[in-house]
Amino acid sequence: MQKVCLTVNGREVSAEIDERTLLLEFVRDVAGLTGTHNGCLEARCGCCAIEVDGDVVKSCNVLAVQVDGAEVTTIEGLAPQRLAPVDHITTQSLAGMYRPLEAVRGTPEDLHPVQSAFHRCHAVQCGFCTPGMVMVLKDYLEENPEPTRDDVRRAIAGNLCRCTGYQHIVDAAMEAAAEMRGDPVPEGAAHAMTAAVDGG
Amino acid sequence: MRPFTWLAPDTTEEAVALLREHGTGARVIAGGQSLLLAMKERTVGPSHLVSLGGITGLARVTTEPDGALVVGAATTYAALTRAALPGWHGVLSDVAGDLADRPVRNRGTIGGALCAADPRFDVPALAVGVDAVLRISGAAGDRTLPAAEFLRGNGITAIGPDEILTAVVLPPLPAWDAVVFEKFRHRVFDAAIVSATCALRRACDGTPAAVRVTVAGATATPVVLDVDAAATAADAADLAAASFHPDATDEPTRYRRELVRTLVRRTVDRAHTQQGSA
Repeated sequence: MQKVCLTVNGREVSAEIDERTLLLEFVRDVAGLTGTHNGCLEARCGCCAIEVDGDVVKSCNVLAVQVDGAEVTTIEGLAPQRLAPVDHITTQSLAGMYRPLEAVRGTPEDLHPVQSAFHRCHAVQCGFCTPGMVMVLKDYLEENPEPTRDDVRRAIAGNLCRCTGYQHIVDAAMEAAAEMRGDPVPEGAAHAMTAAVDGG
Repeated sequence: MRPFTWLAPDTTEEAVALLREHGTGARVIAGGQSLLLAMKERTVGPSHLVSLGGITGLARVTTEPDGALVVGAATTYAALTRAALPGWHGVLSDVAGDLADRPVRNRGTIGGALCAADPRFDVPALAVGVDAVLRISGAAGDRTLPAAEFLRGNGITAIGPDEILTAVVLPPLPAWDAVVFEKFRHRVFDAAIVSATCALRRACDGTPAAVRVTVAGATATPVVLDVDAAATAADAADLAAASFHPDATDEPTRYRRELVRTLVRRTVDRAHTQQGSA
């Protein structure tokens, strides 16, 4: 057994764990944050991507003991208001949560720009790959604010999506990039038009 | 995964002492991107893991007074991608930035790739291609070894059970005027099926004085071909293809042979046209 202490989304989490515990298991089972998904467990699908000290990694291929003392950000850490646990779901709380698509923008009160772009562009179908996609794209767009559609496809090469065919995910990444740069975000179905024109 | 004991030394000497103490059951772990995959499948089950993560100085990129580039073994691909390396040394950044995928590049290390000695990995191929030298620390003292002698087979290296690879040393910029790396893979994040490296040095009048063509992926270890400096790209490609299992007619071998031919032609062609960068 080994004592490991991590800062997960600003909260200190420490535990005595088996040395074999993967970072993914630490985040899900010890920190209790199940937004990070266990997809393939062999560093292929990217559903478990999280940030460790500012760099995105596949948490299924990292031991928790390897990153002892690190700052970890998971998908839950991107949207501060979702950190407060909802222990009682009512019609009212749901009505408060779901606002018209147009109203959701990437602000600290709402969602991270990547998340809100995913929302607007319908880049989510079953949603299993989404946390990993969002974490990798956030890391990528912070480093490359002006990507081409091809760049985005290369950035998410290590993230598999079995539903969307990636088209809407790339749309969302382009919108998120624009929003993160501070450019005006295209309205309505404009992104669908661009996608059709450039074929990718 | 089989149970193991976690050891996190602060210095290379401590790490070597731990390896010596725990014998052949102990393994070195840097980023763990290859080792952990194997451990999860239980194809390896070390009794002790000695982590290089806590050793400062192993992830540094420095230049020697003679111009040689010393890359710490625990330097990640991502760090290499971001490093602004001059001249042909920049090929290391290009190669490191175009393998696996973004999250894996943030953990995977150059030394890990060499010690994994997977024939499909790019870094061992490039290290042999530019005639890099590896620095190894061990209980019996430090030693250096050319990359070509370090790689002994698929997953087999010349490193001893109580030794640690500490750095990869690329020769100084004047050693080559152009270095070109090409590879083929089906999907962007796949390991290469075949890769080729061409390192070229020019004479004063601009004609090629020395050419080093290395092919990897098709064989257990990278193969350095005996190519004449004056050979054209097409000649080098034919020579490379002819030296790769010339008698085999099965499809996988023929497929790889054509890849060898194409990639060697491309690298030599590109090296010939590339301007001197030193």
